[in-house]
Amino acid sequence: MIKNVLSTLGGVENFGIVSICLFFTVFITAVLWALFQRKSLVQQMAMLPLDGGELKKGDSRRE
Amino acid sequence: MNVETFKYDNRIVRAFAIATIVWGLVGFCAGLLIAVQLFMPELNLNLQYTTFGRLRPLHTNAVIFAFVGNGMFMGIYYSLQRLCKARMFSDRLSWINFWGWQAIIVAAAITLPLGLTTSKEYAELEWPVDIAIALVWVAFTVNLMGTILKRREKHLYVAIWFYIATALTVALLHIVNSLAMPAGFFKSYPIYAGVQDALVQWWYGHNAVAFFLTTPYLGLMYYFLPKAANRPVFSYRLSIIHFWGLIFIYIWAGPHHLLYTALPDWAQSLGMVFSVMLVAPSWGGMLNGLLTLRGAWHKLREEPMLKFMVVALTAYGMATLEGPMLAIKSVNSLSHYTDWTIAHVHTGALGWNGFLTFSMLYWLFPKMWNTRLYSTKLANWHFWLGMLGMMFYVIPIYWTGITQGLMWKEFTEDGFMKYPNFLATVLQLIPMYKLRAIGGALYIAGAVIMAYNLWKTAKSGVFEPDTEAQAVPLSAQREHAHEGGQAHGKTAFWHRVIESKPILMTVLALVAVAIGGLVEIVPLYLIKENVPTISSVKPYTPLEVLGRDIYIREGCVGCHSQMIRPFRSETERYGEYSKAGEFVYDHPFLWGSKRTGPDLHRIGGKYPDAWHYNHMDDPGTTSPGSIMPRYPWLLTQNMDTNALPARIKALRKVGVPYPQGYEASQAQKDLDAQAAKVVDNLKLGSIKGNPAKEIIALTAYLQRLGTDIRGSEASTAPK
Repeated sequence: MIKNVLSTLGGVENFGIVSICLFFTVFITAVLWALFQRKSLVQQMAMLPLDGGELKKGDSRRE
Repeated sequence: MNVETFKYDNRIVRAFAIATIVWGLVGFCAGLLIAVQLFMPELNLNLQYTTFGRLRPLHTNAVIFAFVGNGMFMGIYYSLQRLCKARMFSDRLSWINFWGWQAIIVAAAITLPLGLTTSKEYAELEWPVDIAIALVWVAFTVNLMGTILKRREKHLYVAIWFYIATALTVALLHIVNSLAMPAGFFKSYPIYAGVQDALVQWWYGHNAVAFFLTTPYLGLMYYFLPKAANRPVFSYRLSIIHFWGLIFIYIWAGPHHLLYTALPDWAQSLGMVFSVMLVAPSWGGMLNGLLTLRGAWHKLREEPMLKFMVVALTAYGMATLEGPMLAIKSVNSLSHYTDWTIAHVHTGALGWNGFLTFSMLYWLFPKMWNTRLYSTKLANWHFWLGMLGMMFYVIPIYWTGITQGLMWKEFTEDGFMKYPNFLATVLQLIPMYKLRAIGGALYIAGAVIMAYNLWKTAKSGVFEPDTEAQAVPLSAQREHAHEGGQAHGKTAFWHRVIESKPILMTVLALVAVAIGGLVEIVPLYLIKENVPTISSVKPYTPLEVLGRDIYIREGCVGCHSQMIRPFRSETERYGEYSKAGEFVYDHPFLWGSKRTGPDLHRIGGKYPDAWHYNHMDDPGTTSPGSIMPRYPWLLTQNMDTNALPARIKALRKVGVPYPQGYEASQAQKDLDAQAAKVVDNLKLGSIKGNPAKEIIALTAYLQRLGTDIRGSEASTAPK
């Protein structure tokens, strides 16, 4: 059934342009999202790898 | 606030680290062996298990799935725990992931030399192993998502986004591309045929590069580079754009592997355009990495891992500039099927994946064994040997690729092919092949030094199986935020959004990759209905089916294409260009991706049967100077006629129109009759053939290749 529907779909030549439009929509959304993130949040996120929460030997927090 | 103390699991990281080193050396050595075989074909020692055709997939699988795969798990298991401030979700799943993955690698190392292969590049493993891969991957994904859900860090760092995209997409690609009909315990036929199979395979193949070799390693770069440089990534905003841009574009680019083939033109153009666009996010990521080191370049002097990381990023930049360039149709017309592609992938594999893995290993060993690196000097030796090895590898092979491409296309002033004998173009490349082998040996020497250095490092320290850590659980963080006097309703909403992020992220990433996949796969159905049918194209005879299976078993597709592109230089050399309708019964497609030997699509009827017999026995007798190995076992081994009924049945199930019950007895009769004809033909060349031997089936298949189209006028009308 699905195959029949798909095989009668027309306009295969439009797939290219539809794809490009889709891409730019996603891309621009991602750019706007990135740009409008709060600066403090972005800085906090960027610091995440530097604090793994590990306790060093002799750390006063170490049980 | 209520602080929890917990432990990170280092044992699993150590296990994957050791596996990475061991399998890395195995994969590199397999590569060196087949590189040397290209100028010393007798190095297979006349054994069928060690020919170039059978070992090439062993090399590619070992490097991609064993070396990079274990390296990826090593880095993810280390970084994910620390980024989530949580131990892995389940230690049991971690070990199922580890031992399951090693078992799969061992299965590959056994089955591929035995010739048990599907022939689809980087997806050669047969269906029982494919199922095992899917199960182990599910274990990994559950462990990954479980750890993310039980995390103590409310924000998801960008590296985790890359890990999520990897887990999801690899599963999707692997399942779709591996759909096949079993015809025995280690034999199957893909459900797709010809053009469809090619498109699915290269959608998979290209995205295996994207989502197995690239996205997880980008995630690891975003973790380990800031960690080693002790500074945050240059631009976190850019990393967000990098992520979405990359995963959305990558998934569309597969058709650039099939330019100028029988794939519909619009799909080729789509693949090309998206491939060219890919350079933008890739370079964004590379620059983001390199700029992280601004003001800290002096650290490269003290920290060997940073040196490896910088070269890895540079190689990533070079490979991702070159890739889009190779996807431009006019460039591709020269580069495709040549060793240029081999050079391109090795820039990525040796430089990007190799050096980034080495970088992680040099960083992790001292950390996990609570010591210093045994010898910075030896690490520097490794660095320079690796660099030199890469140069000696890629420069000669770029040279080889361009030389091949130009020689294949060169015409004399009178309009004749300048090098009508394909072998002349091969012999020209031998010195470059020798240089490449030197490069490979240098790279391995560096890796051996690393293994020694890391072993000594481990010996000098004490392994810390668990690292103690502390963090506040998310629930306590939430309560603390409430007590801080924020509007209750509003914060509760945003907390829900934040906590649902892994799921949201997963869904969005899946949508992003699925859109690209669907737009390519939906037209597959259209293609199936619209491939110009050729009435004279018929299913292979039983003897030819067995012959084709031998062709697949021996990995002939590793050196010979079956796809003549519509260029004068190709039609002059090989014959009429290949049509989509000629492959409708090809399960799997055997178009190939490089021509170390000539294209074989129109080999049928070009030479007498006796020529094929002698050629397979010793290629040097028919083509003096040939670098093809000998296949004398084909003359002595009996063909597997017992397997015939199951194979005919399986092929019928995937759509080849053999009559019902054909396999019961008629198939064997037809096979015997055709084998007798081949034996008669061999008599003309004074050869006493035995109709039961494999060479008879292979000859029948080769003589059939590309001949159907000569049967009648091709009809270009859709069904």
